[in-house]
Amino acid sequence: MGGDDRAFLEATLPYLDVVWQVARHAAGDGLDPEDLVQETYLRAYAAFGAYRGENTRAWLAAICLNAARSEARRRRRRPWEVPAAALLDALPLARAGGGEAAPDVADVVIAGLDAQAVSRCLALLPEPQRVAIVLVDVAGYTARETAEALGCPRGTVLARVHRGRRRLAQLLADAGVAHGRP
Amino acid sequence: MDGHDRDHRLLAGFLAGDLDPAAARRWDEHLLACERCWRAVREDRAGRHAAQLLRQPAPPGLADRVGFAVEMAARPDARSSRRARPGRAVRWQQLAGGAALAVGLAVTLLLVLLAGGRESGSMPAAVVAVARYAQAVPPPARDQHPHPGGPAAPVEVGRPVTVTAGGQRIVMRTWRLGSIEAVVAVSGQPFPMPAGGQGASGGGMAWSAQLGKLGLYCLNGRTSELVAAPVPAAELAALATRLPPA
Repeated sequence: MGGDDRAFLEATLPYLDVVWQVARHAAGDGLDPEDLVQETYLRAYAAFGAYRGENTRAWLAAICLNAARSEARRRRRRPWEVPAAALLDALPLARAGGGEAAPDVADVVIAGLDAQAVSRCLALLPEPQRVAIVLVDVAGYTARETAEALGCPRGTVLARVHRGRRRLAQLLADAGVAHGRP
Repeated sequence: MDGHDRDHRLLAGFLAGDLDPAAARRWDEHLLACERCWRAVREDRAGRHAAQLLRQPAPPGLADRVGFAVEMAARPDARSSRRARPGRAVRWQQLAGGAALAVGLAVTLLLVLLAGGRESGSMPAAVVAVARYAQAVPPPARDQHPHPGGPAAPVEVGRPVTVTAGGQRIVMRTWRLGSIEAVVAVSGQPFPMPAGGQGASGGGMAWSAQLGKLGLYCLNGRTSELVAAPVPAAELAALATRLPPA
């Protein structure tokens, strides 16, 4: 292995796990997340000579998202799109019982969490909120890093994350409750 | 920005710990009295908790795959050629899957592979990837795993490595057979025969080639298999029969 590729891998491989989190949720149907990770690293390697940034994590996230969008455009399909019917099929049955009063959204969500249902509900969020949640809550980026990766103010990231989390909780709760009704 | 948006941003700032102590205290007090905002806080936490469920460690072998792909890209000849995009392999597989139903595919494939399918003046990227990987495998120590009384059973060494080269997705495993370590590469697409290769027995779409000390033996089919080991190519067909099926 030559010097530049070794230097590149030493600088970027420690972030493989976070890139993987982003890729898993950024890869559209038919695109293997592992292929997207590889493509991300190849694009990053091609640009590494000119890279002067200070935050490699944020840089890799931006490349991964761009690669996913390029691929989605190529396939003429919106990324992360999941039909609503698939969501309903996948949601867990809500617990039976309950009185007239609507249950608290937060309680319903926390009690019946299922990673597959969460993933499908996440896919229903508007893209800006979805991307912000994936970067901050799933991949563990800070709001500042996310802002750098997305090229928007940090306050915008916080607002998107907040709205997205609330919407995610409501989607999970609403669909779960609807399924559980007699 | 309307009042609703401002409230959202302030609450998001409060939850992120952005507010100064006095403003944060005012929010704390507000939350005690305002059911709507308290619900928003609880939903925020529930959504965050749900999203965090989606964390999953990277699969084992992904770092090896990325490292190998970067090493391949670092080769001087790779820099000058356009890299394959990730979706290309999938698109090819879809096309190949449909085409497999058509009568005469085998004949077509045979013609492509054995006559016009080779890249003139250069090795096919998929074959280069396998050959370079095999060349990077260190030879086993001489006294390792003696096998008196018969041929050694194959032992897998390390973990499988997956790469995409020339738009072709390839899974490579390394097997130790006595004093030989052989790389077995499996792909859903055929491995094109390199210049200098020749058709071999073992099937209508088999070929073998010699790259210095490295022998290559390929059996193309629905699942294609390329064996690479530091032995004469003529011996690889027999060696391949001792390896576990792909």
